[in-house]
Amino acid sequence: MTRYSRPLAIALISASTLSYEILLVRIFAIEQFHHFAYMAIGVAMLGFGASGTLLALAGRRPEAQLERWYSRSALATPLALIASATLVHLVPLDATQLLWDSGQWPRLAAVYLLLALPFGVGSLLILLSLTLEPERAGTLYGASFLGAGLGTALAVAVLWLALPNRALAAPALVAALGALAAQSGVKIRYKAAAWAIILFAAAVYVKPLWRLQMIPYKGLPQVEAYPQARRIAERSSPLGWVVAVEADAFRHAPGLSLAFRGTFPRQAALFVDGEVAGAASDWGGNSTARALLDWLPTAMPYALGKPEGVLVLGAGDGMEVWSALAHGADRVVASELNPQLVELGAWSTDASPVRGGPAPVDWVIGDARAYVARSEERFELITLGAGHGLGAAAAGVHALNEDFLHTVEAYVSYLEHLTDNGVLSITRWLTVPPRSNVRVILTVAEALRRAAPAALADGMVVARSWATSTVLVKPSGFAPEEVAKLKSWAELRRFDLDWYPGTGQHETQFNVLDEPTLFEAMSAAVAGTDSISAFVAAYPFHVAVATDSRPYPHHFLRARSLLGFLRGNRGAMLPFAEWGYVALVATLAQSVLFAAVLMLVPAALRAGEMGRGGWWLVVVYFASIGFAYLAAEVAAIQQLNLLLGHPVYAVAAVLSAFLVCSGIGSIWSDRRPARSGWHAGVVIALLLSIYAALLLFLIHQLQPLHLAIRALTATLVLAPLAFLMGLPFPLGLRVLTGEGAVAWAWAANGFASVVATPLAALIALDAGSPVLFLLAAAAYAGAGLTLRRAARRSGAVLLQT
Amino acid sequence: MRRRIAAIVSLALLPPLVGVVGALKRQDSQAERYENERLAMVRQIEQYGVRDSATLAAMRSVPRHDFVPREQRRRAYGDHPLPIGYGQTISQPYIVAYMTEILEPEPAMKILEVGTGSGYQAAVLADIGCAVYTIEIFEALADSARLRLRRLGYDNVLVRHADGHYGWEEAAPFDAVIVTAAAGFIPPALVDQLKPGGRMVIPVGSVYGVQNLIFLEKDTSGDVRTRNLLPVRFVPMLKGLR
Repeated sequence: MTRYSRPLAIALISASTLSYEILLVRIFAIEQFHHFAYMAIGVAMLGFGASGTLLALAGRRPEAQLERWYSRSALATPLALIASATLVHLVPLDATQLLWDSGQWPRLAAVYLLLALPFGVGSLLILLSLTLEPERAGTLYGASFLGAGLGTALAVAVLWLALPNRALAAPALVAALGALAAQSGVKIRYKAAAWAIILFAAAVYVKPLWRLQMIPYKGLPQVEAYPQARRIAERSSPLGWVVAVEADAFRHAPGLSLAFRGTFPRQAALFVDGEVAGAASDWGGNSTARALLDWLPTAMPYALGKPEGVLVLGAGDGMEVWSALAHGADRVVASELNPQLVELGAWSTDASPVRGGPAPVDWVIGDARAYVARSEERFELITLGAGHGLGAAAAGVHALNEDFLHTVEAYVSYLEHLTDNGVLSITRWLTVPPRSNVRVILTVAEALRRAAPAALADGMVVARSWATSTVLVKPSGFAPEEVAKLKSWAELRRFDLDWYPGTGQHETQFNVLDEPTLFEAMSAAVAGTDSISAFVAAYPFHVAVATDSRPYPHHFLRARSLLGFLRGNRGAMLPFAEWGYVALVATLAQSVLFAAVLMLVPAALRAGEMGRGGWWLVVVYFASIGFAYLAAEVAAIQQLNLLLGHPVYAVAAVLSAFLVCSGIGSIWSDRRPARSGWHAGVVIALLLSIYAALLLFLIHQLQPLHLAIRALTATLVLAPLAFLMGLPFPLGLRVLTGEGAVAWAWAANGFASVVATPLAALIALDAGSPVLFLLAAAAYAGAGLTLRRAARRSGAVLLQT
Repeated sequence: MRRRIAAIVSLALLPPLVGVVGALKRQDSQAERYENERLAMVRQIEQYGVRDSATLAAMRSVPRHDFVPREQRRRAYGDHPLPIGYGQTISQPYIVAYMTEILEPEPAMKILEVGTGSGYQAAVLADIGCAVYTIEIFEALADSARLRLRRLGYDNVLVRHADGHYGWEEAAPFDAVIVTAAAGFIPPALVDQLKPGGRMVIPVGSVYGVQNLIFLEKDTSGDVRTRNLLPVRFVPMLKGLR
């Protein structure tokens, strides 16, 4: 074994497992729903922890045997990656039936174990390395961090280059190279096996052994099953898998008026990760069909007159762009994050406002918040559409999605970009009882209170169709004749005005709600902050204003309500359950269960061997830093999502920065005396407290800059923290030595990370990212104090270091 | 000799005979079990607030287990939706009863259903005596529902494999319309094909179940008015959310 072959093998194996983890997040988002992403992270951590438990149970072994295990685990990792991806696609899991079909639970467990397998085998290699060369703990752990950082970049790169199905095979190829690197100085048959595995992994990349198994309830498999449906294009990127399907029976007209009697244009369905994301519509060549645009709820602001400049946020398929043009807009700026959605939206030349379409359209590909922050331009109309489908809105499958377009800070920035007579228009799907609609009203009112408080009384109009509600905001106030125009427009389309300047009492003409909730919400919003607080407290759902530090505008279920659901009849919860939230809580419960079982078993078997009180110091220390690392990562990802504009960029930037810098920190730790380990915990705690207070402020200042500069600045800001966060693990290993300590440390750290992933997400959801930073700070401070105590107990060990 | 032959034949016939009798007995006990589950299901639906006697009688009569895939039969009478293929589900029994009650069905009423699925909703309406015209876009589902309804004797249901967007013009107008496949808009043809005074119900949701019911009424002058309903059973749950 050469000096560099072991770190190289570790780096490549770590790169393969981390890229597999990120790719699993994408695969879960496509095959199931986005909220299963936490399961992917959980299984990775489970595998890491399980390998520690396994080695702890194996007890002391001769070095030659450990070297053999090292070689074999390296060879097994690429095979486990291929077996995991292949076998998991053979398990007929329908996660939607978990509540009432007990037969799905063993399948879920099988999926869990199959996915955890490669992480377990891969981390066994790292753990064996640490056991074989404890004096190089920092270098080896650092190689693991660096490799994982490269794995992040690999995953993002491969998602641009290959469709998700094939991308999933790439980690096995990297792991196979790692297996070869691990066979330095061993028998020839091991080397031959490594070369054979490289060839096999390459063959699997060319022709994957699995196919994507999307659950049948998503829009894509359903529309593709329509008569004469055909897939006309597909694109892949880290931002999503975009597919266009042409089918005569597919039509898209969100919230169309019941009074509409015209014709529909030719349309192709657009899907992102299998869910309907709009339609590429042939508006260009068919002016009759274009009339339809005037019967959609989003057309309401055009009743006030022809706008000069329109900003469409989340323009996606281009329907709202065409609506602006059809209503005579002189200039349209359309903002969309996913360039491939815009590209496929231009399905035919006639359908495209991009190619061959009318001239006055500027597409801004990128984050809308960043555009608004840097743009000096003012618009007569800024519009946000309803987004995803009606069913998805009702089922709460997007509850966990961070959405910075609907926070109070976002609304303030939109209001600041309106001309003197400008209007902001926000349309959302209607649920019963209303949820997102109420939150939009309260958030807009809060934004107006900050930007133009005098306009609260006469600056808002709330309209409602059979399926949607639209809030219009005009900081300069609506004149009586404008209100009359809106009333007349709405009446023709069978829409109701729930609120307008001068509303006396609630009136409903066309669409009856059991309770006049939107009217009540508006009354509370206009009355003042105390009234809003009282309304929010009394409302059955969590509808408080969404902010940049807690950007979950689609999450309405209170944590305590979940207990009521679990105690009551499951059928009765169906209309109110947020499946993203339920899945996250279920993931946490499973993680705690697995972690408890796999931690308690070795604890019971090996507790005596580490001396009295020794094992719990190891467990507390490594569990604390495991939780804290993940909590800090989740908080940083949430806040960088605002800075970089998409969770994928945020995940890639945070993981790369954290892992690479932590890796360098770990390598550097070999030069540090172990007794300084506890200092690191305290300094990290201080830094995290500063991040909790200032990072969001800094992000707001950086928003107008170019994406590359934002990404670079983000990395520079995170680097010192991440560097220091690489120290506690190897320094702790050097202080907390003893029989089986490495395996114990690995197991405790791994399992704390398993639990921390969903727990941190839940904390972020209910308390916000600054609180999560502070909790991570507290955990690091606690770990520092634990290490100090351990150092005092084992003075002899410290003297040796 | 003859006695010996008779004994051998009897012995040979005994096992299959025992098997047949056993199978018949099992079938009887299974049928009895399904019936008991069905009655329990309807009692629960009554407790949830469905009062219409015709609806309850139909729910008691229609064998729901015949409308779900074989592997789902033991869960057929549970209070939840079940998958039936093509990403479609058979709705929660309570929702089926609630929607049926809202339509106020009476014998001889003409009802259009868009989204046949397994055919269960159509069978419940047919059991009340309505003439049901049901449209399904997935050919395999339309074919299997047609065969199933015919086998179970629901002759007053017509199943068509077609795009529901255009309704069933030849059979229009309808006393009631039920649209189980709304995708963000209600096809204008369906509103047009509803009689003045007619009722339409649109359950909105996903595979997880109905989240929202939209009820549409067309008055005698042809004007339409909608109501967003929260099914009564779910109202008490809201108290637990505060």
